Amino acid sequence: MADLLGTFEQAVLLTVVKLADDAYGRAIFRELQVGLHREVAAGAIYATLDRLEQKGLLASHLDAGTPLRGGRVRRFYRLTGVGARALNASKTALEQMWSAMRWPLGVRP
Amino acid sequence: MATGGPTMSGPPRWLQSALRCVLPARDRETIAGDLLEEYREEQAPRLGFAGANLWYLRQLVSLAVTQLSGGLAVKKALVAMSLVIVGAGVWLALMENILRHAGYPARTLVAAGIAAQGVATLVFLLLNGRLIHRLLVMPGAAALLWLGGSAIVRVLRAPHFEGFVLLIGLALVVQGALTLLFAPRRAAAALDREA
Repeated sequence: MADLLGTFEQAVLLTVVKLADDAYGRAIFRELQVGLHREVAAGAIYATLDRLEQKGLLASHLDAGTPLRGGRVRRFYRLTGVGARALNASKTALEQMWSAMRWPLGVRP
Repeated sequence: MATGGPTMSGPPRWLQSALRCVLPARDRETIAGDLLEEYREEQAPRLGFAGANLWYLRQLVSLAVTQLSGGLAVKKALVAMSLVIVGAGVWLALMENILRHAGYPARTLVAAGIAAQGVATLVFLLLNGRLIHRLLVMPGAAALLWLGGSAIVRVLRAPHFEGFVLLIGLALVVQGALTLLFAPRRAAAALDREA
């Protein structure tokens, strides 16, 4: 289980996959909050993106900015092969554990 | 303003400058641009400028905390300070027992507590900061902060200046502040790894 991704890491990676060619910082920031149904601090998101990139699960490149962002460049992210394998492994491992359970879990009186 | 469309106004200049200060050079343009875009397109139209400024400030603080507490430098500083604190606690306890001034048993207990907090912080760092360890370390860090702060105030008000008390007081304040800053993120990262 040591190499499995954390819940938040999985959420960030899946958001990048979902956004595809539009996966840049602010879009990920917005989409992640919609997906998780809660406000997420910028610090948490950018730290996770940075960590996932350092691990080789994400790759990034810079592209032109827009007037709305004062012309500042955007960093676009994409899932790498290593990232895809890590996501698949995390999903498979959890599904195997859940398959042995009756869902939803009951509470003993 | 609360339900209008995008605006081209931005957060106050000082907030934008503060953001640039806390970001590493690599992310300075990209993250500042992301937050400005979000501010203009979503937060200001929805919350108004005062609310949007507050939102921007919250993001700035979260980024500052991430930068400060995520770095290896902070961990190294915390390890070094913990060792200093253990040494100071042991030294104080020994001196109290050698000199045996009035009330020395209580002060020995405090000194032992300081050393124990240093050891607890080192164990916390060694075990990758699980939640249970954070619960043990955080109150101790707050106590160190209070103890160090009151020692500094006492020294500065005293007729005779005692440099070693000032140094130990400063060390306690730094140790307490570093632990309070570092421990929550350390524990959160450990929880995420275990998830």
